[in-house]
Amino acid sequence: MVRTLEDRVRRALGEVVDPEIPACTIEDLGMIHRVAVSEAEVEVDLLPTFVGCPAKDVIGEDTEAAVRAVAGGRDVRVRFVLDPAWTTDRITERGRSRLREYGIAPHWERPSGATVVPLLRPGGVPCPYCGSTETVMESAWGPSPCRARHYCPSCRNPFEGFKSKEPTGA
Amino acid sequence: MAADPMAADPRLALLLAIADDELVIGHRHSEWTGWAPHLEEDLAFSSIAQDEMAHARLLYQLAEPVAGADADALALGRDSQEYRHAVICERPNRDWGYTLARQYLYDTADDVRLAALERSSWKELADAVRTIRLEERYHLEHARRWFDRLAGGPVEARQRFVEGIEAAVGEAMALFEAVPEEPALLESGVLPTSNEDLLGEWLARVGEELEAASLDYVLTEHAASREMVPTSSGEIEAGPTLSVPGIERRDGRWVHRGAFAGAGGRQGKHTEDFAQLWEEMTGLYRTMPGATW
Repeated sequence: MVRTLEDRVRRALGEVVDPEIPACTIEDLGMIHRVAVSEAEVEVDLLPTFVGCPAKDVIGEDTEAAVRAVAGGRDVRVRFVLDPAWTTDRITERGRSRLREYGIAPHWERPSGATVVPLLRPGGVPCPYCGSTETVMESAWGPSPCRARHYCPSCRNPFEGFKSKEPTGA
Repeated sequence: MAADPMAADPRLALLLAIADDELVIGHRHSEWTGWAPHLEEDLAFSSIAQDEMAHARLLYQLAEPVAGADADALALGRDSQEYRHAVICERPNRDWGYTLARQYLYDTADDVRLAALERSSWKELADAVRTIRLEERYHLEHARRWFDRLAGGPVEARQRFVEGIEAAVGEAMALFEAVPEEPALLESGVLPTSNEDLLGEWLARVGEELEAASLDYVLTEHAASREMVPTSSGEIEAGPTLSVPGIERRDGRWVHRGAFAGAGGRQGKHTEDFAQLWEEMTGLYRTMPGATW
């Protein structure tokens, strides 16, 4: 009984999209940290992607509404937590392919020593349109805190890329 | 707020010092929106401002239970002398050279203190700082990119950048002015490293990076005397010397000694620059208390 409720909650969470990247759900982006279901309440802990994300509050409200719809009158508590810190490697395989289809390059492993200085070098973030890796990051700053802007000289398309947020060694 | 909430919990003083730094410098950065020298930088400074204000908000939220006030009230509902940011954050943007010099000095300082606070005994703070630091990396890279570009650039670019460093470096040291509650914070491990030690770490790092660009002289001499275009005879006119109070060279390293200029911000002492910024920043909040968007 309780297990099926958790399934319903998880399925509902799988429908909540990021309003800034509607191609992806919060599950795709790896934002769901914990779901706890009891007789009295449903708790969901989310990880914010970027602290300054303007969509964060909306995502919290949408999540709460989605869970409430299946919670059968239980109390619903949605919180943003910071442990563990969200990093780009939490984006799922499906999330990565959905980002690509949407025209946003998913996070890639930066070659060691590479910086955000706009230089054309092999090993750039792969272009979501033609796949070329000879691309330039033009600016670390894009239309939202989580996105940078790139240019692909091969197919001559500007494109956006999910800004990498890598786990630190500590 | 209570008469002196800081006396009750020293953590509040630490949170406000950092959050106020982020909020106030974020506000200054946001003043480039629509005015930066080119579109890329308009976007960069607007985005950095957005990040800094978000980091401030996160820290104010952490302070809510400690202060017994909500994050908005902490950010916008205090009198100007209750803000604990360092004076360097409230200075107007002046020109592009000063803006970038200050951003470099500030974000390097921020990196030094956040790296220490990742080891804080207060888990919620350490968690918040880890998240913040993953984003601050981009600010630091932005600053470093401009450092290299201007320091290695044509004479005027280099000169104006160095003049920016010269104008900002003394006051930037006061980012490491200890809050009065520091002994208690060190004892509890909330602040794992003293501000005195953090200042030493920052100065060594900044000194080394300036030296790599042959710019470390700015810590002891006026920039205008060294960055002039050589005359046809190849001579550069010697200028008056300046020494940034509290900085000296010892055994090939730039070190901090004793007192330094620009302190007071951590005790709420601010300049006329902040009076104007405070009027603007808190204007809506004061005019329409409790307004919702």
